[in-house]
Amino acid sequence: MPDPSRLVSELEQLSGLARALGDRARRRGAFLIWRAQARAVTRVAVKSGRVEDVSTSSGSGHGVHVLTSEGRTALASRDDFLPGPAEELFDRAATAAEAAAGLGVDPAGFASLTPETARAIPDGLQAFDRIDLAGHARRLVELERELGGRVPDVTLALTFATDLDAWRVARSDGADVLWAMPRCSLRLSASSSGDSRHTVGAAISGASPTLLDDSEAMTTFLKRAEEAARLARALPDAPVHPAGAFPLVIDYALAKGLAHEAFGHAAEADGFRSSVLAKGGRFRSGDEVGASHVSVIDEPVPGDHAWQPFSSTGVRRDRATIVDHGRLRDALTDAWSAGPSGVRLTGADRAESFRSAPLPRMTNIRIEIDAPLHAPGRFEDYGPAEVRDLLGAAGVLARHPRVVYLSGYSGGQVNPATGDFVFNCKSIYTISPGGVALHKPAIFSGSMFDALHAIREGFGPLLLDAIGTCGKWGQSVPSSGGSHYFLVLEPSPGIRLGGR
Amino acid sequence: MDLAPLLDALRCTRADGRSISAWSVFASASRRLTLGTKDRETGNPHAPLNLAEGLTVRATIVWDDGRVSRAALERRQVEREPGPALVAARASAYDDPDARDVLGPATFPDVPVLDPGTERLAAGEIAPLAARLAAIRDRVSAGGIRTWSGSFHASSGTACVVTSAGLDVSGRGTSAGWHATLDGEFGAGHSARAPESDADFAARLDRLVATVLDLRRAAPGRPGGVVPVILHPDVVEEYVLGALFHNLEGAAVAHRTSAFRSDQFGLDTPVLREDIALTNNPLTPMRAGAYRFSPEGLPAAPVTFIDRGRLVAPVLELKYARRLGLAPNSAPGALDTVGFSGSSAIDEAAAIARAAGGVLVLNVLGVHTQDFTSGDFSLSAPQVLALGSSGIEGRLRGTISGNLFALLRAADLEFVRFPGEHTPGLLARCRFDSA
Repeated sequence: MPDPSRLVSELEQLSGLARALGDRARRRGAFLIWRAQARAVTRVAVKSGRVEDVSTSSGSGHGVHVLTSEGRTALASRDDFLPGPAEELFDRAATAAEAAAGLGVDPAGFASLTPETARAIPDGLQAFDRIDLAGHARRLVELERELGGRVPDVTLALTFATDLDAWRVARSDGADVLWAMPRCSLRLSASSSGDSRHTVGAAISGASPTLLDDSEAMTTFLKRAEEAARLARALPDAPVHPAGAFPLVIDYALAKGLAHEAFGHAAEADGFRSSVLAKGGRFRSGDEVGASHVSVIDEPVPGDHAWQPFSSTGVRRDRATIVDHGRLRDALTDAWSAGPSGVRLTGADRAESFRSAPLPRMTNIRIEIDAPLHAPGRFEDYGPAEVRDLLGAAGVLARHPRVVYLSGYSGGQVNPATGDFVFNCKSIYTISPGGVALHKPAIFSGSMFDALHAIREGFGPLLLDAIGTCGKWGQSVPSSGGSHYFLVLEPSPGIRLGGR
Repeated sequence: MDLAPLLDALRCTRADGRSISAWSVFASASRRLTLGTKDRETGNPHAPLNLAEGLTVRATIVWDDGRVSRAALERRQVEREPGPALVAARASAYDDPDARDVLGPATFPDVPVLDPGTERLAAGEIAPLAARLAAIRDRVSAGGIRTWSGSFHASSGTACVVTSAGLDVSGRGTSAGWHATLDGEFGAGHSARAPESDADFAARLDRLVATVLDLRRAAPGRPGGVVPVILHPDVVEEYVLGALFHNLEGAAVAHRTSAFRSDQFGLDTPVLREDIALTNNPLTPMRAGAYRFSPEGLPAAPVTFIDRGRLVAPVLELKYARRLGLAPNSAPGALDTVGFSGSSAIDEAAAIARAAGGVLVLNVLGVHTQDFTSGDFSLSAPQVLALGSSGIEGRLRGTISGNLFALLRAADLEFVRFPGEHTPGLLARCRFDSA
C-alpha cells in the first residue's frame, strides 16, 4: 500500500468512532451508514498578467444516515469527529427518522448488501501534502504570457486547482471502505476585447498536482487554449447560424454531453417514477432506444477526473452498460432503487459532501460506436478543415453536401421526465466541399431517442477526458466522459440547432 | 462557536519569519433542516429528512511583508489547531495590494432577519411542515397532477465579523423556504427569513397547479420568427438578472471580461433603455436577501447599479472597489431585495393580451451554457404557452434566441407584474422557433 496522505491517515484513525456508532445503531435496532469525509482544495488564479487569487480550504466531517427497522430514513451531519457530539448526532437522526411517519414518510426497502472491507488509495497522494502554490502561480503567469504572445488582443484568465477528496464509509453490518479521489485541473478563459465580447474556455485535468510539469499534458493544454483564444477573437464577427434540423458532426466533448444529458440522467434510478426510460417505476430493460451500433457506457476510470471506486453507501461501483447496441440494459442504481427498478445494483450513488444524501449519479460516461472509422493522430490536430477532409474521405459530404460541425462543449441540461435535453457548443462551422465557415454557438436540443437513433458514423479512438461538473438536486459532483473523436448525426426533426 | 483560539493565534502567530499585521475573520455557525419529496414520496431515501450543523470560517490575513493569505478554515482548525492552520495559510500568501483592506468599527443598520418559529424548525421541530405537505398533496390530487417533487428547508445561524482594526459585529438570522415542481414540468416556491403566510402559500400553489394544467393542452405549431415573447419572472431571474449581475461583477469589470467597461460607469451614456433601473436594498425586512453586514464587515446599505439605463456602479467587494477606485457596496444576497424596473409596468393579463400571436416562456434550459458577455442567447424553451386573441391557446416547445442587450434597449420592451412575484416578467420581441 502506498504511503497515505495526511487526509487518508486521518480517516484511517476513525475506526473507533465508526465502531461506536455502529454499536449504538444496533442497540437501537437501526441500520447505520456512516460517511466520513476529509477534503483539501487549493486554487491559484492568474488574470491579466498577475496573480489574482490564491486560496486554500479544507473541510472534514461526518454524516450519519439512519434507517429505522420500519424502513424510514434520516441523515444528520456535523463538521468534526468528536465522539460526544457524534453520539448526539446519531440520536438526533434516529429520533427524526422514527418521527418521520408523522409527515407522511413511507418506509423504503434497502437491498441486502455484502459487507466489504476495502481500500482504494491511488499512488502519489503525498504530493497533495506539499503543494507549491507559489510555483504554480509563477507557472500560470508564464503560461498566460506565452498564450498572450501567440494570440494577442484577448483577455486571458488561468486557474489551477488541486482537490484531494477522501472518504470512509462504514455500515453497521460491518462494511468498511475507504478511498481517495485526487483531482487537478487547469482551465483557461479567453475573452475577446472589443465592444462585443465573447468568452471561450479550455481545460485539461489530471490526478497529480504535478500536472503543470507534465510536458505531454501541457502540450495538449496549450493547443486547446490557443484554439479557445483564437475562437474568442473570431466569434464577435461570426454570423448567426439559422435554426433547424441539419446533418451534424459533434466532437467527443459534445458526445459526452449528449450521453450525459440525454441518457445518463434518465438512467438514474432515483427518478424512475417519472423518467422516460422507466414505466411504472421499472427500468425499460431491453427496449430499443438507439441505433444498433451505438452503446452508452458509464464506469469509473482510474486516474479520471470523476473516478469514484465505491458508492457512498460502501458498494463497489460497477460498469453500467446503459445502452447495449441500441437497447437499454443497465441503470444507475443504489441499494434503495435497484429493487424497485427491477435491475441489478451498480453501486452508482455519490454524494457531494458528508452533509448530502447520496443519489445515483454518473462518473465517466461515453458513447461507443461499433467499427469506428480511422482518424489518425491526436484530437487536437483536427481543425474544421481537417474534419472536412475526414468527412469527405468517408463519403459523408457526398451524402450531405453541407454539414454543421459543433465544436467544444459548454454545458447542458436535461429534463429526465420528458427526455428533453439541451447543450451548447463553443462554435459552429458549416462544412461543405468548398470550405468551412465559422458561426456563433447555438443551443442544441431535442429528444434523447431521436439523438441516439441519428448517430451514424464515428471517427477515431475513444477520448474520455471531457470534464465538467454535474448538478442534481442541489449537489454538484465532478463528471467526465467522451466518445470517439467525432460522431456524425443524420438530420432528424427531433434534434435541432437553435439559432443564434 | 468558539473563535477565541483562532483570534488568539492571529495575534501571536509567526510563520516563515513573519508576523501578522492585519486580519479579518468571518464566521457563521448554522443549523439546517431540509426535507425533500421525490415523485410524491416525502422523505424518501434520496431526499431524506436532513439535519446539518456546521461552522464556516473565512480568514483574510495580511502579513508584515504585505503578502496576503485567504483561507477557508474548518471547525477543528478554528477551535483546536489554529496555530498550524495559520502556518499553512502563510504558504499560500501572495502579493495582492488590493486585497489588504481590513475594515474597522462602523455603525450597522438594524434589519429584522430572525424568526423564532423558523429557529425551532431548523432545530428539528418538524410538526409545522405537516400541514403544508398536506396542502400540496390535496391540490395535487384534486388537480389530477401525476407527480410532484420538491423540498422544504429551514435554517438558523449566527454570523460575525471580527477584524484586527477593531470591528466586532455579529447577528442571528433564519431562513425558510419551499419549492415544488409538478409533473416534472413547472415549479414554484418561496424563500425568505420566515415562511410565507398560509394564504400566500395556498395562492402560490393554486397558481402553480393552474399553470401546469395549461401546459397539458397542446397548441398547434407555429412558423419560426420574431414574435412578442413574455419571459416569466423565473426566466428573468435565471437568465436576464443572471447575465446582468455577471457583467456587473467587479472582478469581471476590472479584468475586462464583462460586457461593461470600467470607463462606462458614471457616464451619462445609457447602455440599456433609459428608464431601466437595477438596485439592491438589503435593508428590506425579512427578505431572503436582507442582511446587516457583509462577510467583509461592510454595513449593508441600498445600492443602485443601473439608473436610467446608465451604469452607476459594479457589484464591489473591498478588493475590486479599491482596484477600480470606487466605493464598496452591498451585493445581492438573494433576488428578493433586487429592484429591476422600468418607468411603468403592466399586469400579466394585459401583457398576455398584447402578446397575442406570441408566447409566454415559463422556463428555459441551458442558461449556464450561455455566453453572458456577448449577450447573445439561444435557449431551449420546453414549457411555453402559445398566446392568441383569446388568451392562452395551449402548450408549445421551442427555442428563443436574440441578444439580451438589444432586448433591454428596445423601445417596445415592457415590464410585467406577475401575482405573488417580486421580480417582474418582461414582454419583448425576440425570435421563437417552435420545435
